[in-house]
This record gives sequence, structure tokens and C-alpha cells, in this order.
Amino acid sequence: MAVCAAIIGKDNSPKFFVTINPDEELQFQYRVLSSLDIVEDKLNSGVKGGADTKELYLGMLLSLEAHKIYGYVTNTKIKFIIVVDSTNMVLRDNEIRSMFRKIHSEYADIVSNPFYIPGEPISSKNFTTNIKNIMTGTV
Amino acid sequence: MHPGIIQSDSDIPHELCVKPLALVGVTGLDIINNAVHKSIWETFSSNRRIERAPVLFKLVGNVQEFPIMKPKRTSYDWYIPKGILKKNWINKHLYEIPAVIVVFYDLDWNDSSWSEKMIECASRVQSMRAALEGRGTRITIVLIQNSPPQPPGEDALSSERAIALCSSCEINSQSLFVLPHGDHLQGYAVRLENAFYEYAQTYYHNEAKHVKSHKEHLNKNSHQYLFVRHQFKMGFLNELKQDAHTAHKHYTHAYNSLLEIRIVDTNALEIRTLAGFVNYKLCRLLFALNLPRDAISQFKSHVDRFKARMGFHELTFEHYAWLSKQYSVFGDIFDEAVKLGLPAVQTQHPGIYYQQAAQYSIQRKKFSQELCSNIIAYPQPDPLQGANHMEFYGQRPWRPGKLSAEPPDPHLESNGIQALQFLEKQINHSNLIIALYGLAISQYKTYRCPRTRRHLVLQMADEYYDSRDYGKALTLYTHMLLDFRNEKWWDILSTVLEKAILCAYLTANVQDYVGLAVEILGANINTPLNEKRRIYENLMRLLKKQIPFGDPKIPQDILQNAIILWQPVFSEKSFNIALDMTNITASVSVKARFMKKTYEVDQNVIVEIFVRSTCPFPLTFSKISVTVNAQNQNSEYTVTDSADVSFNFHKDEVKRYVVEFIADCNDINKDIQINSVNVFLGNSPECCLDLKYPASVESNGNNIELYHFKHNADKLDFDNVQALSQATVVPRESKLRVDFLHQIPALLGEWYEIKVVVTNEELYEIVDLKIEAWIEEEIANVELSLQPSDKHKKLNLVLNNPSHLKPTDQISTDFFVRSNLICKCNIQVKLTYTLSGEKQILSIKSEKLALAVVEPFEVSTKYLSTLMAEIEKFYIGEEFGVMNYIKFTSPWLIIVEDTSFDYIHPVSPAEENRSSQISGKTFNNEEIGAELHLATCNKPNDDFVNVGHYTIRWKRENGHSTTTTLAVTGLPCDWVAVGLKMFAPAHGYVRTSMVIEYHVENRSHELVRLELSMDASEAFMFSGSKQFSVSLLPQSTRILQYNLNPLIAGSVALPKFSMTISENTENGPPVVSQDQLNLLTGRTLPTHVYVMPQMKGEAKLPDSIPSPENVAVIG
Repeated sequence: MAVCAAIIGKDNSPKFFVTINPDEELQFQYRVLSSLDIVEDKLNSGVKGGADTKELYLGMLLSLEAHKIYGYVTNTKIKFIIVVDSTNMVLRDNEIRSMFRKIHSEYADIVSNPFYIPGEPISSKNFTTNIKNIMTGTV
Repeated sequence: MHPGIIQSDSDIPHELCVKPLALVGVTGLDIINNAVHKSIWETFSSNRRIERAPVLFKLVGNVQEFPIMKPKRTSYDWYIPKGILKKNWINKHLYEIPAVIVVFYDLDWNDSSWSEKMIECASRVQSMRAALEGRGTRITIVLIQNSPPQPPGEDALSSERAIALCSSCEINSQSLFVLPHGDHLQGYAVRLENAFYEYAQTYYHNEAKHVKSHKEHLNKNSHQYLFVRHQFKMGFLNELKQDAHTAHKHYTHAYNSLLEIRIVDTNALEIRTLAGFVNYKLCRLLFALNLPRDAISQFKSHVDRFKARMGFHELTFEHYAWLSKQYSVFGDIFDEAVKLGLPAVQTQHPGIYYQQAAQYSIQRKKFSQELCSNIIAYPQPDPLQGANHMEFYGQRPWRPGKLSAEPPDPHLESNGIQALQFLEKQINHSNLIIALYGLAISQYKTYRCPRTRRHLVLQMADEYYDSRDYGKALTLYTHMLLDFRNEKWWDILSTVLEKAILCAYLTANVQDYVGLAVEILGANINTPLNEKRRIYENLMRLLKKQIPFGDPKIPQDILQNAIILWQPVFSEKSFNIALDMTNITASVSVKARFMKKTYEVDQNVIVEIFVRSTCPFPLTFSKISVTVNAQNQNSEYTVTDSADVSFNFHKDEVKRYVVEFIADCNDINKDIQINSVNVFLGNSPECCLDLKYPASVESNGNNIELYHFKHNADKLDFDNVQALSQATVVPRESKLRVDFLHQIPALLGEWYEIKVVVTNEELYEIVDLKIEAWIEEEIANVELSLQPSDKHKKLNLVLNNPSHLKPTDQISTDFFVRSNLICKCNIQVKLTYTLSGEKQILSIKSEKLALAVVEPFEVSTKYLSTLMAEIEKFYIGEEFGVMNYIKFTSPWLIIVEDTSFDYIHPVSPAEENRSSQISGKTFNNEEIGAELHLATCNKPNDDFVNVGHYTIRWKRENGHSTTTTLAVTGLPCDWVAVGLKMFAPAHGYVRTSMVIEYHVENRSHELVRLELSMDASEAFMFSGSKQFSVSLLPQSTRILQYNLNPLIAGSVALPKFSMTISENTENGPPVVSQDQLNLLTGRTLPTHVYVMPQMKGEAKLPDSIPSPENVAVIG
């Protein structure tokens, strides 16, 4: 299971942030922020392949002592970040990938919600629950 | 107290860090007294660049003591090593025991006292050899000679003496070198040192082999240390030999052997220290061998292996110091490799290791504070006595060389630990940590990680805070705020702000404190409400010039210091703080806008100001003002404080204020801008806080339109207020009426008159009226003028007009335009005037006049023969008609005043009195006027001849006359040798004879013979030669006369007259061809003549042609 998930807007401001352990949120915010350096770099340097083979999954961004950070960028430059414990061996690349895809579809749903203003931080409780379920693998 | 500085066991000793170079001892050089020797020494020792051999030269005296060789051990059976690696060993091989000794000696082959000197040299060699007894050091001799070198084999004396010298010194002939002192010293030196380097490599190779030979004596049980030691030595010797691969192999063995040793409390430090050393060597070699991945993985496994080996709990800080050192040293090696060209990437660069080193240093600090805080005294006797002179690396000074099997003395042990703890307590950890962060930050900057770098800066600031350097911490915190603000990481921003305001409080920095407070009170900052209340109260206290209360969490002593710092802050009388709120999302936000994009000069400019407070507590402002920038001056307008205007704000309240002013007349057609809005807090005159907001807040990047969907209960919709920070002052709308009277279209080339009629429909008299006219896009051929003449033409015109105009009065003035080009142009007319009402107001009115220019007429020209047939060529001497057609295309009536035709040589008129045939005529649109003139051409020309200029003077009805001149192009002109003219009456009468004459002219300088004939015709009876052969003399004319008696009336074909060239031409080709003759008759002779019926009554004969006197009449 992932320990933290974040949705970052195209202006690199956090739109949504959730951690399994709320006490560690600030530390995770710093980590996710650091990983954005790598995302930015990948986005700036990356003209890989044609426009058709657009890969949204960025792979592992950072491998720290205690955590591994994965990234995913939508075509509209919305970034999804997932933080996983380094000791977690269950989650492989494929699981992370599918987790991102689920988050992406949740995000697409929330953006379609007429009561949500795109670009504002997401505060929907339902959304938070759904993302937490994705993180813990209960979906 | 313990005096000295103990070298920390976690440091990598200097001798390990330097690049190992083969040591070459140099003797026999007296560099103090002998200039030659000095220059030789300098050539060798200085300027050692990378391309020179990896050799270190050491100057050795003639009587030098070298480290004594230990007696050779025959058996290791009873030998138990006391430690792993002796401290002096590396140094000994690096700097003390040379691999090669070079004996320099001044000796020429032909030296007079050869044998004495040879003996002296030999004795020097002998003494060196004695000093190096037992070592494998190679001894070589270099003879310094003055004479240039001879080719080998040619100089019998030298080769003989060389052999003698070798044998007396007992050296190999290859160890004897000659150094001619003179030119090319550098070149010789390079060659010599390469030879030395080769010998040194052999030496180190043998040494390594020697060490290896010990291996068979060792056994695994008692000699584990020796396995490590020997492998390390072999590795090092191979490094001296510059064999990195072999060195790496041996170091790997050493490292693996080290891991096999069982770690107990007594040897833990030693093994860890040695592992650090060997790992250092390994990583460095791997980077040098360009295997950075291997280096990184070696380092990682090394750290993983030792991370958990804490050792004594009391000395945990030592472990973290070691770990931190491992990381920082690896960072150094990595950085060094990068500087030598290794490409590093964003996810793998030295900064990561420095950062980790800093983290471990923090751990070290934590444990050091935990474990050492109780240690007050340094134990006596000093358990660390002699710590810098230990025999082995990584052993405790209080039990040197003790075997791991012996149980440690507990008292001594605890004393030693206490001593180490005491020393640890003296260390300023923060400095270490900050330095490491500094290194990491610069690396992260290089590898484009601005956000990670920011995080590190914050950690660095935390460390400054921890070390009570609040000023520096505050600076770092405040510098980081902007980026977090821009990227809206409010949670992080909140924590940083809280830390920063604490620092600002502790340093009594009012400016920062106030700024941070205003920001913290904003809605975005999620500081707990009670904390916000405390800050709000402090802010209010500050505005009353009272010292704010400190955070209750601050320890008492620090709080005391802070209060002392605050005391002098309020001693000064006035206390005004201005804050630039440009990039701050504070608790008070402001928007200002103009109500319109343009303001007329006599209207009030209205600025709307919206102020919103998101502070959870009520705020009261003392003043709100707006600064407006105009071209010439900036003015500040204050919101007037009247009864219905309130400056009190509750949470999330938005208020709207309006400022009105009248724009300056000087700013007409210029922009005015809202520069800033200032909101003032604080009532007392000596204490006031000025929050300065920029006019245009950057939109927050999202689609602003979407905010209209946001629920907004009742109040002013602050989010949806669109800023409009710029407006233009425009002149007031003029009420003048301007009419243009003219007759379009303008005609090409004419001075076209435009009449301007201005009617004052304003309420007041106008003065200083100025009317200007100019052409909108400058066209070269369009001119303006006040007079219909060329003299006054201008591009920009000021019209003549009366400058005063009473209400309802009308004036008119006119100007002229001329265009020499068919085009469409726009004429701008601008009226500038002052309205002299209650107030003088400058007004401007602009009018645009579109004008099309068309041609008044088109001229075409045709050329006719005398028979009125169109011709294709002119012929010299033959008259032709020039027929000009003028087709009028103007919608207006045009009067042709005069026309004239100026011929250009060689064309000349063939009429005596020429006058215009259409002058004074009036033409409507689509009408054509034509006139015909006769001309001749007297010069042949293959091209089209320029006939002349056709000038037409014309005018509109009641207009000004215009002269148009056109160039007329004619036809090519030919010369023919024979000319022919016919003279005949215009008509004849039936049965009445008429005379016709043919004049045949020879224009050439040769005789022309022609056969002339007159065909019979049914319509005529005629007399005259029917067939006639004629010889024409040069330049003469022959006249043939015929009497024709018409028989029928009507247009009757004349008898056909023809000319042929006589066949019996004698000399040369004829000057004229038959074709030319046919054409000639065709164009000059009429084919028909009108014959009238006989008149009733008396018939009047037509005039017969008067025969010129000089023409012979052929009867």
C-alpha cells in the first residue's frame, strides 16, 4: 500500500494531498515537492517518441532511504505522485501503474463535477475516501 | 583539561587522500650554493603537470638515514598481530623510502682529475648503498656534464670511462645517465624521469611480490589481521606503481578479509575505521577507472553493512560521526570525479551524499546532546594520552595493541568513554551540519533541483535556529517564502512563517515581524487560531509601541535576551514601517481599477478600490489612498473619511471605495496608471504601518471566469473584480461641425480644391483654432498646398483661418491637393482649439477625408499616310499625319484651353501654320476629341521614333487650368531611294479632261533606271506615255504628265500606274528593290478619283496643276 498520494496542478501547487499517517503530512509534502524537480526536468527534456506514444507514467522519481516516489503526468500537466515505503516489495511497477490509472479516472470524475472549480484544491470527502481506497488497495 | 586536538578516527588521514606517486630520492645536488644544481632541481621538481610521469622527487642529503629495516621474520607461527594497519606504514612508503635513488655528480668524460673524481663518486654511491642496506632501492648515477653529448660509440674515451665508472660503483651500465647541462634541460629531464619511473615501477612490483610471499606463512585463525594488512599493502604498492586495476583487486581482497573478522566491542572501532579507509580507496579507484556505478554500489553496500553496527551505546555519536564522514567523503570523491569530467545526473550526484552526511550529523548531534550533557569534567589521568601517536589506526588510546581476546579493564574503559564524551561536547555540531548543507545546496542547484534545494535551505535555517543564530535563520526563511507562495504550498508556507516570525521576534526585527504577522493572519495560512490571536494581539501592541509578547514555548533565557533587544526599538520617536505587499498573499488584499478605459479630459476619473480582510479578527485602517502615475507626475488620492465610509473590517469583509479626480489637460492622449494602493494601519502619528499594494495582482493562473460559479453569499464579489490599472486620457468630444466641399474624384495632375467649412456648435466661443491637414500615409506624388501652384506645396499644412469663432458662427477656408499618381489617399484634418468657457479646455477634432484620384482623359495617337491610311513605318521625305485622340473620362465637364505639339528632331512639322484644332472646346465624359497634324521625318531609325510632346492645357468648369504633357512615340523610319508623288485635282467631270502628274524622284547618289507603265482603263481615255523607260540622275525628279478624260461618273478606279526596275542594269545591285517600289506605289498613289457628271450649263474646268518651272514636261 502507498503511504502518500498527491495531485499537483500544472502550476505546481498542491491540489490534493493525503497521507495514511496524518502526522507525517508535512514531511511528505517536502518529499513530494522535491520530487517535482525531477518531474519538471523529465517534462522539459522529454520529447521522447511521437505524440501518439504518449506515456503518462513517469516511473520512479526518487528512491530515498525510507521511501520510493513515483510520478504520473496527464496531458494537461496535472501531476500525480505516489509515495511508497522502501520496504514494500509487494507493489511493483505494474501495481503502481494501475494505481495511477485509477487515480486518474477519479480525478477525471472530480473535474467533471459542476461544483468543483478546476484549479482549486480538492476538498471532496468522497474523493478522499476513494483515493485512500486506491492507496490501500481495497478497490 | 585535555590540551591537544585528537585526530578523529572517522577522518580519512591525509596520507590516504593524496595520490600515491613513486618516490625518487635525489642526492648530490647542492641547491643552495650551486646555480647549475639549483636549475636542475627546479626542472625536476617544479611544474609537475599531469602529462609528466607520476613521480615525486625528494632531495636527499649525502648522509641520509632511512627507516631501518625490520629483521626478517622466518616464521609467523607465534606471531600475533596487535592491530591491522600501522599508522606509519603509508607515510613511510610515500615519503621516506625511495624506489630509486639518483646520485648526481659533476663529471665530464675528459675531466683532468678523472680517476680521483671517479673514486669520490663511487664512495658516494657506496655510502648510499650502505644507508639503504637491505632495501631493493635502485641506485642510479647521473653525471652532470658541460660538454655536449657525443653519439654513442664514437667516443672511445667516454665509453671506456663509463665502463670503468660502472664497475667501480658496482652498478649496471643501464643505471648510468649523462645529463649535459646546457640547452634542452627540460627535454633531458623528462626523459630521465621516465627512466626513473620505470625503475620505480619495477621496485614497487617487487615489493608487492615480497609482501605476497608472506601469505603462505599465515593461518586463518590467528592472522586474520595480517590478511587484511598484506592485501592493503599490496594494493597501496600497486597504486604507487600506478596499476589501478591490480590495486583495486587487492583492496577488494582486503575489504573482504576485513569483513570476515568477527567484530567484538574491542575491535569494532578499528574494523570500522579500516573499512572506511579501504572503502575510500576502492571508491576512488573505481571512479578513476570510470566505473561510477560500481563505486556507488560499493559505497552503498559498505554503508548498509556498517549502518547497524553502533558499537558502544555511550559512543553512538561516534558511529554517526563516522557515517556522516563516510557520506561526505564519498560526496567529495564523487565531486572530484565530476570535476574531472564524469557526467552526473539529477538523481545521482554528490549533493545527495552531502545531504545524507548532514542528516547523520544531525543524528550525531542528537545523540551527543543526549549522552554527553551530563559530562562536566575531563577524567584524570588522561586516558587519551598519546592518541596522536598510536601505532595502529583505529585503536583506543587507553588500550593500544590489546588483543581482542583480553577482557577490557572496566574502569579504564569508562574513563576513556567519558573523555570522548567530554570532547564531543565541545564540538559545534551546527557548524558541521551547516557546512554540509551548504555543499549539498550548491550541488542541488547545479543539478536543477530548486525545490529540493529550498527544502535543504530550510533545514539549514532550522540548524541556524538551533544554534541560536536567529538572524541568519530569519534571512534564509524569508528568502524561501516567495517560492512556496508562488506554488501555493500553504502548509509548508505556514510552518515556515511560524518559524520565521519566531526568529523575527527573537531578533527584534520589527519590519519582518510586522510583514510576517500580516501574512500569517491571512486565510491561506492554516496556523491554529489561538496562535493567530496571539500574533494579532502582538501586532496591535506593536502599533501602540508596546513590546509584543513572546511565544510561551520559548525558553526563559532566550526570551529575556529578546526582550532586551526589543527595548531600544521604540525609543525612536516616529515609527513608520512601509511594507511592499507585491508578492505577499496577506490577510488584507486590495484591488483597484479604473471604471473606464478612456476618460475625457473634462470628466472625473473614477478609481474603484476594493479592500478585503481575511484576518479572523477585526482590523481598522487609518487611511486608504491610491497613487496614480501620469506622464508628468504621480499623485496620491486619499479616500475621504466621511460618515458613510468605514474603515473597520471584520473577517472576510469586502468594502468598496471610490476616489474621483480630474485628469490633467497635459495628459491628453497619454496613459494614466494606478501605481499602488496604500493601506495604513495604526492611528497614532508616530506609529503607522503602510501596506503598499501593486495595482495589478497577477491572476492566479486558473480560469477566472470559473469563479463566477463560486458561491458568494451577499457581498461584493472580490474574486471576480477584474483589475484595470491603466486608462487613457482623451480630449473631450468636440461639438464643432466640419464640412468639406469638393467635387470628387480628384483628377490626375490638377490642383484639387477642398473647401473646409467649420461651424461652431459649441456653447462657448472658441479661440486658438488651428486647422492642420496632412496625408495619412505619405505618398510621394501627392502634395498639399494653400495655393493652386507648385511653389507652396507641402506635406503638412496649416490652413489659413480666423482663430476665433463665436457660437453658431461659420468660417470656411480651403486648400489644394495634387496627385501625380492614380491612387486613393486619405487626408487627415485636425482641428485644435481652446474652448473658452468657464474653464479653458483644450479640444481636438479629427476628420478624415478619403479621396480617389482618376485620369481626366486618355490620349492615343495614330499615324496616317497622306491617303489617310494607317501606316506602320515612316519614310524619309514622305509626309505623314499625326492624329491625336483625347478620350475624356472625367465625370465633370472639361474645357480644353489649348493644345500644342512640340516635335523633336528628326521629326519636323510639315505645315507652316500650326494651331490647335480643338482649343476652346468643351467635352463631356466619354467624348473624344481628335486633331491631325502633318509631319515628316528625315532620319532613318529602326526603333520607334520619339515624335514629340503633346501638351494639353485644360480645366474644369470654373476650375484652375492644368497643363498635362505627354510624350508621343512614333514608328520606325526607313529610307527608300525612289520617291513618288502624284498631283491630281480633287475630282474630275465626265468627258472633261483633267491633268494628273506623277513626280518620280531619285533620292540616291546613283543612277536609277526604271520602267514605268500606265495600264489601260475602261473608265478613262488618257494621253501620255503608256510605257516608258526612264533613267533618273542622282538627286533629280522626273515628272510624268497625263491628260485623263473620264468616261463615267462616280468613284472611278484610276488607270494603274506601276514602276519596275529595268532589267538591263549594268553596275551592281539596284539601289531599290521591286518590293519597295510596289509598296511605294501602294501608299502614295490614290487608286480612285471622283468623277462628277457633266454639269448642266457652262462647265467650269477644274484648275489645272500649275507646272513648276524646274520640272521638265514630257509631252
